[in-house]
Amino acid sequence: MIVSELHLMTPELSLLGFALVVILLDLFIKQKKVLAGVSIAGLIVSAGFTLAMWGAPTIDIFYAMLAVDRFALFFKFLLLAAAGLIILASQDYVSKFERFQGEYYALVLISAVGMMLLTAAADLISIYVALELSGISLYVLASFLKDQKSTEAGLKYLLLGAVASAVLLYGMALVFGLTGKTCLLCIADVVETMPIAGLLDNPALLLGIILLAAGFGFKIACVPFQMWVPDVYEGAPTPITAYLSVASKAAGFAVIVRVFFVALGAPSWLSIDWGILFAILSAITMTLGNVVAIVQTNIKRMLGYSSIAQAGYLMVGLATVGVAVGADALGRSGLLFFLMSYAVTNLGAFIAVIAISNKIDSDLIGDYTGMGKRAPLLAVALTLCLVSLIGLPPTAGLIAKIYIFNAAVHHGLLWLVIVAVINSCISAYYYLRVVKVMWLGAPVSEEKVPSSWALRASLSLCCLGVLLLGVIPGSFVGMAEAAVRIFGS
Amino acid sequence: MLADYGYIGLLLIVAILFTVSMPLLALSLSFLGIIPRKSNPDKTSTYECGMETIGKTWVQFNFRYYLYAIIFVALDVLTVFLYPWAVNLKELGLLGLISVAVFFAILVVGYIYAWRKGALEWK
Amino acid sequence: MSVGLEHYLILSAVLFSIGLYGALAKRNAVVILMCIEIMLNAVNIALVAFSRYVVPVLLTGQIFAIFVMVVAAAEAAVGIAIIIAIYRSRESVDVEKFDLMKW
Repeated sequence: MIVSELHLMTPELSLLGFALVVILLDLFIKQKKVLAGVSIAGLIVSAGFTLAMWGAPTIDIFYAMLAVDRFALFFKFLLLAAAGLIILASQDYVSKFERFQGEYYALVLISAVGMMLLTAAADLISIYVALELSGISLYVLASFLKDQKSTEAGLKYLLLGAVASAVLLYGMALVFGLTGKTCLLCIADVVETMPIAGLLDNPALLLGIILLAAGFGFKIACVPFQMWVPDVYEGAPTPITAYLSVASKAAGFAVIVRVFFVALGAPSWLSIDWGILFAILSAITMTLGNVVAIVQTNIKRMLGYSSIAQAGYLMVGLATVGVAVGADALGRSGLLFFLMSYAVTNLGAFIAVIAISNKIDSDLIGDYTGMGKRAPLLAVALTLCLVSLIGLPPTAGLIAKIYIFNAAVHHGLLWLVIVAVINSCISAYYYLRVVKVMWLGAPVSEEKVPSSWALRASLSLCCLGVLLLGVIPGSFVGMAEAAVRIFGS
Repeated sequence: MLADYGYIGLLLIVAILFTVSMPLLALSLSFLGIIPRKSNPDKTSTYECGMETIGKTWVQFNFRYYLYAIIFVALDVLTVFLYPWAVNLKELGLLGLISVAVFFAILVVGYIYAWRKGALEWK
Repeated sequence: MSVGLEHYLILSAVLFSIGLYGALAKRNAVVILMCIEIMLNAVNIALVAFSRYVVPVLLTGQIFAIFVMVVAAAEAAVGIAIIIAIYRSRESVDVEKFDLMKW
């Protein structure tokens, strides 16, 4: 019965309710600061429901449309935290669209609902609807500033995103046609018993899998579907850039793991096939991201390419999941831990960029010169996050990389790990260049860089996260491992 | 199956015969002088009845139509969800009614938004 | 010869390819949006045909198609809104002129 299952959807439903309240409140009140408070309250309530469900047993609800398991709950918590930090960090930024604050907060909440559903979706239909719910809200948010760059970013994101989702949909149609099912577990049953010994025996399935990988690849920005990333990241409002790079990517990885591992993980040759596919894409993605990032002069664009490179590292985990054929959970929990560390690190970096760029009104790396003297705390925070992105101690990035690479080596992906380590060395060059400019350059003026308490709070939380994950990773690793245990093995 | 196509083919032949014969008939009648040939401006105008057209055909439409169009596009397609519900009204019962009510409540929020933002006014 | 599943699938594949070609090759943003709609409708044909021939009793594919239609409408509405916004600042809907950001 459906009504008795509604309480398992409380995190999404409550957040959706708060989003509607924000829209209505915005129409009837003058004091817009309240809206941010209501949004944060909604996120906290939703996070409370999520936490309360952590111990609940794993079940599928709504005729197997959604799965309620720790894997989904882990991601929901991560997404809620990201959305909360973004709203806090937007406080210095919303003055640029004073009249449209209500829409801004409501859209952030609605896209969070979409992503939360995406991580829980266990049916092709619900996956598609959730994907589009988050996607369409993000298209609007990307063009929110309504200036030339922002609308250009929004249009590029929308057109490419719509093409990608159409391609994904065609892949879904093929998979549905071959199996006659849309729920992932049912698809798994059919695929497992197919009388074929390799993908080449069934070109339609091969095409379906490639189209699915392409559609999801757009969401996580892996090569060759990465071309939208730098433009959209540069043009979109900076808080939204941060949101895109963290939340949207995390949800994308969640849905890829679920679709490929649950529905297509059954015959071992199939699992290995897509594992190798992701391994190759991973190597190309991180190399391209890192090499092109070197020549960037705009810090948002540089962080955009850096996030492509980070997606490459994350895909090492994806490749491990495939190659290991469900043999152990190290690859999956490594992926989750990496996402956790990547989320706090990248959010921290972008929040520092919001604070600095808002004051100096420029995104150029050259204009960050002497920031160490003008805004020592912001510079320290940005440095910490950049160091974590390289993967140096004592930060989260190091532990995450060791964890995920260790799992990969364990399952015979040594060549991929070597490529990844070389890439990390390349990446140190462009990350440290920013650090050098900030601390060794001469400041252009003595003017301080002020920021609101909300922004400072969110930045402190991110830095705290980076350090905690780097120094005492044990309990977080335990959380990631508990989250992937639901997939058997 | 093939016989079904036969009917379509028959219709096609009739259609071709009709379209070919009618202009031929008209041409032959005018050639024989049965139809008088008197031209006047009303006959040669694009539309024989109604208003005279003013200006060019390629005009930009008033921007305000776009707001109506966008609200219409987004909301009218949603009625497609009502068909499956309406067909199974009895079986779905009260639960179905409540679900549709919630669905409409969300839509109404959209309408209230459009109304308060002045999108429904012709300024 | 009767019309079977493969005919619908060929139609769907042809439409999808036309849409994809148009989305990649056209320069007018509105036309690109139209091509994307063609792609989505091609998928709808495939979904409904699969539903009819693979699982005739269930209506899975038809329901899927309804969701696709609604999402496509929402996407088109947002797309047109963004195109209007960009037209206001650029006086153009030619995607090749939207090159403020490159590399």
